[in-house]
Amino acid sequence: MRSVRKILDSIAPHFSGDGRLKMLYPLYEMVDTLLYTPAEVTSQAPHVRDAVDMKRSMVTVILALLPALLVGAWNVGYHHDPLAGWGGNLATGLQALLPVLLVSYLAGGFWEVLFAVVRRHEINEGFLVTGMLYALILPPAVPLWIVALGISFGVVIGKEVTGGTGYNIFNPALVSRAFVFFAYPSEMSGDAVWYLPDAVSAATPLAVAASVEGDSGIRLLGEAGYTLQDMFWGSVPGSVGETSVMAIALGAALLVWTRIANWRIMAGGLLGMSVLALIGNALAGSFSNPMLWLSPLHHLVMGSFAFGLVFMATDPVSAAQTDRGRWIYGFGIGALVVLIRVVNPAFAEGTMLAILLGNAFSPMIDYGVLRANISRRRRGYAKQ
Amino acid sequence: MSVITIQKGHTLRIGGEPGSSISSLQPAGRVAVSPGDFYGIKPRLLVKIGEEVKKGTPLFGDKRFRDVVVTSPAGGRVSEVILGDRRRLEKIVIAIAEGEEAERFTACSLDECLVLEPDDIRTTLLRSGLWPVLRQRPFSIIADPQASPKAVFVSAMPTAPFVPSTSMLLEGREHFFQAGLLLLGRLTGVPVHLSVSADETAEVLVKAEGVELHRFRGPHPAGNVGIQIHHIAPIRHRDDVVWYLLPRDVARIGELFLTGELPTDILVALGGEALSNRCHVRTRQGVLLEDLLKNNDVEEPARLISGDVLTGIARRRTDALGFYDEVVSVIPESGTREFLGWLLPGRNRYSASNLFLSSLAGNKGTRLDTALNGSRRVIIPFGNIESVLPMDILPTWLLKMILARDIDEMERLGIYECDPEDFALCSFVDASKMEISAIIREGLDYMQQNG
Repeated sequence: MRSVRKILDSIAPHFSGDGRLKMLYPLYEMVDTLLYTPAEVTSQAPHVRDAVDMKRSMVTVILALLPALLVGAWNVGYHHDPLAGWGGNLATGLQALLPVLLVSYLAGGFWEVLFAVVRRHEINEGFLVTGMLYALILPPAVPLWIVALGISFGVVIGKEVTGGTGYNIFNPALVSRAFVFFAYPSEMSGDAVWYLPDAVSAATPLAVAASVEGDSGIRLLGEAGYTLQDMFWGSVPGSVGETSVMAIALGAALLVWTRIANWRIMAGGLLGMSVLALIGNALAGSFSNPMLWLSPLHHLVMGSFAFGLVFMATDPVSAAQTDRGRWIYGFGIGALVVLIRVVNPAFAEGTMLAILLGNAFSPMIDYGVLRANISRRRRGYAKQ
Repeated sequence: MSVITIQKGHTLRIGGEPGSSISSLQPAGRVAVSPGDFYGIKPRLLVKIGEEVKKGTPLFGDKRFRDVVVTSPAGGRVSEVILGDRRRLEKIVIAIAEGEEAERFTACSLDECLVLEPDDIRTTLLRSGLWPVLRQRPFSIIADPQASPKAVFVSAMPTAPFVPSTSMLLEGREHFFQAGLLLLGRLTGVPVHLSVSADETAEVLVKAEGVELHRFRGPHPAGNVGIQIHHIAPIRHRDDVVWYLLPRDVARIGELFLTGELPTDILVALGGEALSNRCHVRTRQGVLLEDLLKNNDVEEPARLISGDVLTGIARRRTDALGFYDEVVSVIPESGTREFLGWLLPGRNRYSASNLFLSSLAGNKGTRLDTALNGSRRVIIPFGNIESVLPMDILPTWLLKMILARDIDEMERLGIYECDPEDFALCSFVDASKMEISAIIREGLDYMQQNG
């Protein structure tokens, strides 16, 4: 290991000051600090600093994503060949998933580095998360060129044009997903896309529930083999990461415990979803819309609600950034998911759009919270 | 009495806590005074090299407030006057004489003190050079002698690392402390707020007369005077001035009036993992750090800090203890680079977050040195900063408005209530490694010049 350090130190002068490769300094910084903790010491008070940094924070998100990734990969293999055993299933799934992940990292990473070099900012570790999130919200059978195109759009338009990481309005992974969803409808919809080629395909739970009128949708779900348990453990078709609510819950626990994701957003989202779903249940008898019958539990385990709420809505940059704002933002997303799923016949799934809408509104939510804070303090001053 | 409970914050569990023994350690022949200790002062030199001075003789004045002077903490001869860039006064060194003399100020009994005219108190404080112990918020500068504050604050519950407890500090000088509190009330005619910890029992504090007593509970920065002001009498605008001072300086004010001599005796804690003999010492204002560390082996490489690790200033051995400092912290300088440090479980990394294995053991067995522990990144609002700032202030926005130099918005978001020392923990926990304290100072400076 010491020799690696020596090599890094010996090439360092080329990247700094007047070195020939100073353009590529962000790249050097990335490799250097990836391998070794940075050498910088504090230059002013406070003289000691917490061990937390961006790398640690982001790698924790990756860690939280791993259960969903592994169960998702298994599930992909399971639907390809239910009889292959869990080891075989996992292998098949990873075989399908890893190329997607690799392309996502390579294509997105290319843009990330290009912008860092041209705009002279550091390469932000946040991309490690974006690249993985994106791979996990794609259907397993997605063509690789679409993967590359989508992540390029997300990184460039969703993030870099507004100034890069930290300045983005929307979650870049979701922008990528929305792009492929709307740009390539024929490749990205229908039942077959949720399965690897030459597997027997069936509709996703949300598509099943929406397919008939009245309360028989729920019954049909059961007949299609989609019990609440199956949907909780994750043996139903869907995007790779979204299917297993159990795995997502593990990740959520880690994120909440480490406070990387804000629990207020998740709590607000659950609340918003439950309230709207219950209102829907109460109205279900008087309308023919089958989705009204779905209970909050169904909404929780079906589709990408859980995954979106835990991993996408909680992106600290594109979410509301005040504690009160986070409640409102989370509630809004939860409510919108149900609204889109239930009321809008064009989209069986509403999570992606709900979160993007939430992102769009979060500056306004924060603005309101900010003004409230100012006037509250003013009232406090007046009392004195 | 109601207790104000502070939830947010983090009490630093840093190794090298000073032992409770108190020894006496006097300067070896020299003391020094630096105008740099007084934020915002424009010094005007009043002595020449070689001049004889007594204890209490003015060394330099302040061009902003003409009556404010800083006086010599020892009698002897001015041996050095060190000027820095653009002939700015940096340091005055006094060689202490054998039988040193002291300036005399009017002494009075406690009863006489209580009927002194405010103007007389002010004049004596100014002449003796003890006035600079009074500082004002906003801006943390020396209090303007002509202004009148809306309140005076004394925090008697230190929560910063290594700061000696107030009852230890005041042992044997309880009557001075009480006299000082009464004199402050007499001087200003406004309430004197004394804040103590919720479980404080020392009579000198809980039975103090002429004060409004407040009890606080919670982690650092609950003991910071800025946090207490925020909860008791928030600063509304730039002219809504609050004065504050350290408990030890309250006692010194009392001592000045009861004895008629400038008191220079102070208690200092020596702490930090790089020190061999961590203890408390009674010493003199202006003592050089090398004299303070005489009985200590410093494990090099180490950083010498006058003040606590969160707010102090790095100094050399030949520098003097800062005017307001009660602590000398000596902590290991970082030099190693850990391989793949961000991936390891991190049983030995200190963190206020739960991102490392060490959080399960409450950071036991961890070690804090001067490493930045990360690289500078853009703001990603994880909420770390908010979790250690017990104020109804939105720090991320305030920081952005400071960087954008938006005066109106800074005012609305409460910049006048802020002080770098209250944001030190924010710098500590920030994952983007921003110098948040320094940004707050930047904002305050900008407001002072342009507001």
